[in-house]
Amino acid sequence: MTMAATNEQPRLAGRVLEEGRVGPLTRTHFVRYAGAGGDFNPIHHDDEFARSAGYPSVFGHGMLTAGLLSDFVVQRFGLHNLRRFSVRYVGQVWPGDVLVFSGHSIAAAEGEDPRRAAYELKVERIGPDGQRNTVLTGGATVAGEDA
Amino acid sequence: MVDRSALGHEFPPYRLHVERGKIAEFARSILSEEQIYYSTEGARAAGFEDVPVPPTFSAVESHWNRNRQDVLKLDLRRVLAGGCEWEYLKPVVAGEVLTVRSRIADIHTKMSKRGPMTVVVRETRFDNEAGDTAFIARSTVLEMPPRDQGNDAA
Repeated sequence: MTMAATNEQPRLAGRVLEEGRVGPLTRTHFVRYAGAGGDFNPIHHDDEFARSAGYPSVFGHGMLTAGLLSDFVVQRFGLHNLRRFSVRYVGQVWPGDVLVFSGHSIAAAEGEDPRRAAYELKVERIGPDGQRNTVLTGGATVAGEDA
Repeated sequence: MVDRSALGHEFPPYRLHVERGKIAEFARSILSEEQIYYSTEGARAAGFEDVPVPPTFSAVESHWNRNRQDVLKLDLRRVLAGGCEWEYLKPVVAGEVLTVRSRIADIHTKMSKRGPMTVVVRETRFDNEAGDTAFIARSTVLEMPPRDQGNDAA
């Protein structure tokens, strides 16, 4: 869902978060995440293995993108206010990509705690060739005055 | 190929020691500059008793869970992470010992562009020493159809 679309829908609370960016990401970022998290699937660090699986090169762990997005949320709301966080992977992150984080609030569903706010989140990649596409969609539920 | 008899499988529970060094290492790997992850003073200033764990820290359990049986028998060349969802109930800080209980919560087949793929959901609960569940992670992995049997390129 694009930002423009959210502004056209009155049911959405529509608070738009200031965009965040990281990158360009390198193989070193993938390797460091593999070590920190413990996921050593060679598809993330061994180009030969990745090619044998039909990919042009290694690609980042989905959980790395999720972790980077979680920090975007924590920077804005504080860790102590985070109640729920979810991610769905829709595309791969390649070496050389810059990631762009964005999000906007949505109206609380019926029965939800009114002191909490729900946000829809998105991560896009911009490749070295300028190509831009969504790699992750997600959500966060936050509490607190800034929510 | 996913072994469907794994549905409902409960892995043996195990302990995970929450350590400052691993928290800092993990926080650096997600490029965080939040001081709560690196200094006890920073954490206390934000209201935590000690350095807290980042939201996706559940990933580190694979370091602790060394003897998990390969009940799923996934083909790594065809496996993709589908997503994950976390529910946070209690803060978790350095020095705590969590008990980790993991089970295969769902296995089903879904149509993808390349043909039928298998969706596996693993639910993992992290309980603190007081016996309260501190957080829950539900992760989804996808086993894509074999390439040689695929139709059009995805």
